[in-house]
Amino acid sequence: MDDGLPLLKGTLDLLILKTLSWGPMHGYAIATWLEDRSNGALGVDDSALYQALQRMEGRGWLSAEWGTTEHNRRARYYKLTASGRRRLRDESAVWTRYTTSVTTILALASRTA
Amino acid sequence: MRDTPRYRRLLDLRLGGGRRSAAEMDLEIESHLAMRVADLVRQGMTPDEARAAALARFGDFDTARTRLHAAARQRDNALRHRDRLGALAADLRYTARQARRTPGFIAAVVITLALGIGANTAMFSIVDRLLFRAPPLLRHPSLVHRVYLADTYRGRTLYDEYVPYARYVDFTASTTTFSRLAQADEVGMAIGRGADTREMPVGIVSASFFGFFDAPPALGRYYTAAEDRPPNGTPVAVLSYGLWQTRYGGAPNVLGSSLQIGATTYDIIGVAPRGFVGLWPGSPPAAFIPIAAYAPEVSAGMLGRSDRWWTTYSFTWATVIAERRPNVSVAAANADLSRAYVRSYRAAMATIPGMQPLAVDRPRGLVASILSERGPNESSTAKVATWITGVAVVVWLIACANVANLLLARALRRRREIAVRLALGVSRARLASQLATESIAFALGGGVLGVAIAQWGGALLRSQFLSSSARPAVATDARTLLCAGAAALLAGLLAGLAPIAQTRRLDLADHLKAGVREGTYQRSRLRIGLLVFQGALSVVLLVGAGLFVRSLRRVNDVPLGFHASHVLAVELAMRGASLDSAQNVALRRRLLDAATSTPDVVSATRQLAVPFTSHWALRLYVSGIDSIARLGQFEMNAVSSGYFTTMGTRILSGRALTDADRDGAPRAMVVSQSMARTLWPGRDPLGQCVRIQADTVPCTYVVGVAENIKQRALDNDPGLSYYVPAAQFHPDAGGLFVRTRGSANDAETAIRRQLQRVMPGASYVVVFPLSDVLDEATRSWRLGATMFAAFGSLALVLAAIGLYSVVAYDVAQRTHELGVRAALGARMADLARLVVREALELTVIGVAIGLGLALIAARWVAPLLFQESPRDPWVFGLVAVVLLAVAALASFMPAQRAARADPMRALRSD
Repeated sequence: MDDGLPLLKGTLDLLILKTLSWGPMHGYAIATWLEDRSNGALGVDDSALYQALQRMEGRGWLSAEWGTTEHNRRARYYKLTASGRRRLRDESAVWTRYTTSVTTILALASRTA
Repeated sequence: MRDTPRYRRLLDLRLGGGRRSAAEMDLEIESHLAMRVADLVRQGMTPDEARAAALARFGDFDTARTRLHAAARQRDNALRHRDRLGALAADLRYTARQARRTPGFIAAVVITLALGIGANTAMFSIVDRLLFRAPPLLRHPSLVHRVYLADTYRGRTLYDEYVPYARYVDFTASTTTFSRLAQADEVGMAIGRGADTREMPVGIVSASFFGFFDAPPALGRYYTAAEDRPPNGTPVAVLSYGLWQTRYGGAPNVLGSSLQIGATTYDIIGVAPRGFVGLWPGSPPAAFIPIAAYAPEVSAGMLGRSDRWWTTYSFTWATVIAERRPNVSVAAANADLSRAYVRSYRAAMATIPGMQPLAVDRPRGLVASILSERGPNESSTAKVATWITGVAVVVWLIACANVANLLLARALRRRREIAVRLALGVSRARLASQLATESIAFALGGGVLGVAIAQWGGALLRSQFLSSSARPAVATDARTLLCAGAAALLAGLLAGLAPIAQTRRLDLADHLKAGVREGTYQRSRLRIGLLVFQGALSVVLLVGAGLFVRSLRRVNDVPLGFHASHVLAVELAMRGASLDSAQNVALRRRLLDAATSTPDVVSATRQLAVPFTSHWALRLYVSGIDSIARLGQFEMNAVSSGYFTTMGTRILSGRALTDADRDGAPRAMVVSQSMARTLWPGRDPLGQCVRIQADTVPCTYVVGVAENIKQRALDNDPGLSYYVPAAQFHPDAGGLFVRTRGSANDAETAIRRQLQRVMPGASYVVVFPLSDVLDEATRSWRLGATMFAAFGSLALVLAAIGLYSVVAYDVAQRTHELGVRAALGARMADLARLVVREALELTVIGVAIGLGLALIAARWVAPLLFQESPRDPWVFGLVAVVLLAVAALASFMPAQRAARADPMRALRSD
C-alpha cells in the first residue's frame, strides 16, 4: 500500500469505468483487478474505492445489484450503465490527450536542461 | 426495461432510507473483508493477521466506515431523485403517446379547460384592478385611506368623498391620529397651446400629496406647501414621466420651461418618476399642479360674491386622503375624524343659513379603502364585476366537471389496459401518479391556452369594465399569471381525482377475464353526479343571463322624459379668453345661431345642465312652505325657446318658454309635473309665484308644466325639475343641445367645426352625443346582460359537449345490449327514445337543482336588477325549456347511432 503510486485526482473514476467495461464486478474484484493489472504499482485505498463507487452509482454511471460469487458469497456487483459507457469514452479521450501533451512537454524540457 | 424505475427506493423513503443505506453498506464492507481475508489466508496468513491486514487497507477503519455510510446515503438520495424524474419523464412520454393517438379527445379536454381558465384569468385581472390593487408606489398602502363624510338626509345616510377645501384645512388642523392628510382630484384639462393642444387628465393635488408616496422625482422637485398657499398659490407644475417622454423627449432642460394647462401658464419644476400615477392608475395624470393655483380658475363664477374658495364650505370638489399613524386603530381614526367633522360642521353652520341641525344631520367621518370601489359608495360596476367573477368561477367548475367526465369515460374505456398493467405488477400508486401527471399536463396546456384567451379575447371584457389606459396586460402580470396557474393546477387535480378514484375500485379479475360483456355495463354514479352538477350550474348561469337581459330591456324602456338619440350636447371650454358677462352672452347667442343654421340641425337650445352629468340647485322660496329644501332637491336648467322641441319633452299644460321671455320681461318658469304636485298639491300650478335665490327678489311665475324627466337616476328619480329662460338667469353660462336630422354621431364633426369658428382665441367646444351619458348610466345592466349571456352560453356549450360525450360513450358501451333489444324486435325509434329518455331524466334532475339554486341566489342578485323580479317565472321557464332542448339535441345524435345498431354485429362481437 505505502509503496504504491499515489493516484492522480480523477483517475480513480476512469480506472473503475475501464475495469467495469470488461463486465460486472464486485468491489473486491475491482480492487484486485486494478492491483494485478498495474503489477501492484497503483495502490488503491479500499475506502476511497468504495466511496468512488457510491458516488458514481449516484450519478448514474454505474448500477449495482446483489449477487453471488463463485465461492457462494453474497457481494454487490457493479455494472456500467449506458451513461457510464459514454463517460468512459469521453474521459479516456481527454486523458489520452492530456497525458500526451504532458509527456511531450516533459520530453522537451529534458532536452534543454 | 431501461425506464423501469426502482419502486423499492420510493418505498425506502418512507422506511427511513438513511438507516437502510448504512446497513447495506455494512453488508458490502463485510463481504469485501471476507473475500480479502480468504485470499490472504490462502497466501499463508493466519485468520487474525489476515483480518487485521484487510481492515488496515481501509486506513482508519471507523472513520472510513462513517464516510462510506454517508456516501451510501448520498447515493440513495441521488438515485431516488433520479427515479422520480425518470418516472415523471416516463409519464409524460406516455401522455404524449396517448395524445398522439387521440388528438380529438385531447383537444376537447384542453380547450374546455382553456375556456374555463381563460374566463377566470380575464376576470381576475379586472377585479384585481378594481378592488384589490392599491395605487403603486404608496409608502404605507395599508395605512392610507380615502376619507368619507357621512350625513343623514331624509332618514338616509349618505356618504360623500368630495370635501370643501376649508374642511380639509379643518381636518388638517384638528385631527391627531393621522401622520398626513392631502387633498386631491383629477380633472381633464387642455394642455399646450395652439395646434398641439390636447385634453389630458391633470392631478390637482395639495403639496402634502407627494409625501404619501415613495417616489422621489425623476428630475427637479415637487412643489412645497408655500407654493400651494391660498389665495393664488404659485403656478408650478410637475410633469408625469410619460408626458416628459412624449412631449419633451425626456430632455433634462425641461425644468424652467413653461406649459399652458387650462387657462394658466405653469412653470415646470419637476418630473415624477416612472410609474407614478397618484391615485388614478386607471387614467394616469399627465401633470400635477397645486390646488391653490387651480382653484381660483375653477371656482370663478361658481361662488357667491363674498365667498372665498379656501374658506367657503359650499364649494365641494376634491377627495381627501389620510395616512393613519401606525399605532392607531381604524376605529380610533374614525372617532377622531368624526370629532373634527362635527367641529367643522358647526363652523359651516355659522356661515351657511339653512343647514340641517346637527341632531338631524348627525355628521360622521370615516376612513375607508383607498380604492373608491371598495368605499361605502361602491359602484354597481364593481358589484357586477364581483358577480361576473363568481360566474367565471362557475364556468370553471363546469369545465372541470366536463373534463373529469371525459377523463372518466376514457378511464373506463381503458379499464382492461389498466387491469393488465396492475396484473403485471405496476403499483396502484404508480398508476395514480401517472393519471395525475396526465391531468396536470392537460391542465397546464389548458392554462397556457387560457392565458392566451384571456390576453386577446379578454380585451373585450376589460374594455367593458376599465377605462382604456388601465387595460392591464394579462400575460406579463405576475399576480394574474399566478391566478391562471392556480386555476389550471386546481382544475387538473379536481378533474384528475375522478379517474384516480375509479382505479381504486378496479376489480382485477373481472376485467382480465377475456371479454367483459358490455351487457354488464354500469353507469358510474360519479359520472352521473358530474353531469347533473354541470346541468344545474348551467341553469343558474342562464337564469342570471335571462334576468339581466330582461333588466336591460326594462332599462331601455324607461321613459326618460326626453329622447336622447339624435341629440348632441355642446359644452364650452373657455381658455385664455377672459370674456366679460356681455361678451359671454353674445358668444352664446352666436353659437346658437351657428348651430341652427347648420344644414343637418333640426333645432337647438341653450342649456345649463346635462341630465346625469351636471346639476344646478338654487334656493327656492314659495309662500306657505317653510323649507322647500326638506321636500327634496329641485334641479334647475336655464334654457332657450327651442328646449322642449329639441329634447322632445312634452308640455302637459300651460306653455313652453319662448323668445318673449327675455331679460326684463316678467320672470317665467316651467316646472315638472312632480314639482307642481309637490309644491302645490291639488292646486293649479299655473301662475304660482316662486322666488329664486332669495325671498326678497321678484316673483318668477309658473307658465307651464312639463312631463317629468330622469336627471340623476333611472329608477326612483323624484323628477323634481324646473326650467327658466336662459335670457333671465345665467345668460352668460352654459352650453347647447342640438337635435340633428340624421344620426347624432354622423353630425358631430360637422357641428363641432361649425361652432368652433365662433369660439374666440384658444377656447374650444366639446361636442358629444347625449346618449353617451345614458350609456354610462345604464352600463352596469348592459355589462351584466352581456357578461352573463356570454358566460351563460359558454356554460351551455360546455354542458352540451359534456352530455353529448357521455351519452355517446354510453351508447358505444351498450352496443351489445341495444343489439339484443333490436334482435328481440325493438324498433329503431324505440332504441333512440330509450337513449334520449335516459339523458333527459338526468337533465331534468339537473334543471330542478339549478332552478332551486337560482331561487336561493335570487335574494343577492335582486339589488342589481332593474324593475325585474329575481324569480321571474318567464326566465325560469325559458331556461328550463332551453336546457332540455339542448339535452335532447345532444343525446339525439348518439341515439341515432344506437338506433342503427346492427343486431347481428352486436351479438357477434366478443
